[in-house]
Amino acid sequence: MNKRTENRLRLTVLGGFLGSGKTTWLRHQLHEKAFGRVHVIVNEAAEAPVDGVLLGAADQITLLAGVCACCDGQQQLETLLLGLCDDRSSISDPTVRLETIVLETSGLADPAEILSLIQNHPILVRQIVIAEIIVIVDALNAVEQIQNEVLSRKQIEAADRLILTKTDLSTEQDTACLGVTLRSIAPGAMQLAASFGSPLVLRPPAQDVQGVALVKLSDKESDPILASRLDLGAKADWTAFTVWLSALLYARGDQIVRIKGVVCTPAGRLLLQTVRKSVQSPEILPDLNCPLETDNTIAVIGRGFTQSQLAKSFAHFLA
Amino acid sequence: MCGSCGFPAAPGHWTEAGAATPHERLRERFRRVQVLQKVLDQSGVTAHDGGVIPGIQVMSLSGGQTIVPDLEALWAEVKKLSGQVFDPLDL
Repeated sequence: MNKRTENRLRLTVLGGFLGSGKTTWLRHQLHEKAFGRVHVIVNEAAEAPVDGVLLGAADQITLLAGVCACCDGQQQLETLLLGLCDDRSSISDPTVRLETIVLETSGLADPAEILSLIQNHPILVRQIVIAEIIVIVDALNAVEQIQNEVLSRKQIEAADRLILTKTDLSTEQDTACLGVTLRSIAPGAMQLAASFGSPLVLRPPAQDVQGVALVKLSDKESDPILASRLDLGAKADWTAFTVWLSALLYARGDQIVRIKGVVCTPAGRLLLQTVRKSVQSPEILPDLNCPLETDNTIAVIGRGFTQSQLAKSFAHFLA
Repeated sequence: MCGSCGFPAAPGHWTEAGAATPHERLRERFRRVQVLQKVLDQSGVTAHDGGVIPGIQVMSLSGGQTIVPDLEALWAEVKKLSGQVFDPLDL
């Protein structure tokens, strides 16, 4: 059988608003060697970088200062990533070559833009797979940032994993309220807490805790964000699914925040992820003898549609 | 670059990741156009893929015809030919 395994370099994007504690968190993870053989790229919008000095523990580190990797620094980031892929492909021994790149974005970066950069690049798309988008949330200031900054909301929407920092300085009530608010923006993201990088226990908020009512920051945000699930059935039809999803993204791309799921296909188990309109080239997951329960179920997070509407619409695409 | 369609060689579109062998790829292309014909039924646009040249051929009732490289480009072309965005949630 022609079953390929994933051989691409994994990229973890670390985002979060200005001053949320990205570098502090990353420094601890590097100290714990959480990422294996890693190359760290630190992007700072400021001309006078300090983060590079703070992250001395990394084996390999590159600083991208004075530009923002998601907008005016895209060119530099692209060159940097191409260089890393090049160096990696010159080493054939899988036990020593680079496994992961961690990109610490500037506080003003939109992680979705970095995803698009890689997806739209003919070489990088074959060399790099985005493993995870981690977004650091400052428990003291997040509510205010979410209310005032579109960017802060965009960062949270893009996250796979949200890490709340400074929860030890905030009251339990405020943290619970923030947790519920974050859930309303990113229903699919895992929520964790950390203090100076070491994990803290984050108690799930009580049933009666109310989140902050979100102020409308643009006209498109009229409906609340809902998380829906689409069941593709035991024998998932990848072709029908992609025809449907590509049409949905074309028509409703601005209302879809996030899509994530594993689909079993003849080419293997594919992990499909999108952040807004940008679709990541599917990652091939290790083949298991028995499919997991969560396989062939797609999480669709967005506004302006319901779960039953999605199921009904998808049924039209099946033979 | 392909001599018949002129599209430069590109990494596979994400929608084509479900097939690993040439055989599966061809079968998937036929299935894809079958699904397209079914859902585009009312839109005045037809899709065709004979499996010979790369890409999907899109035709309008008035004779307009284009070849698109992938599904993403297809929906943009459908909008151009039929004058409206094809919204799967309206079916």
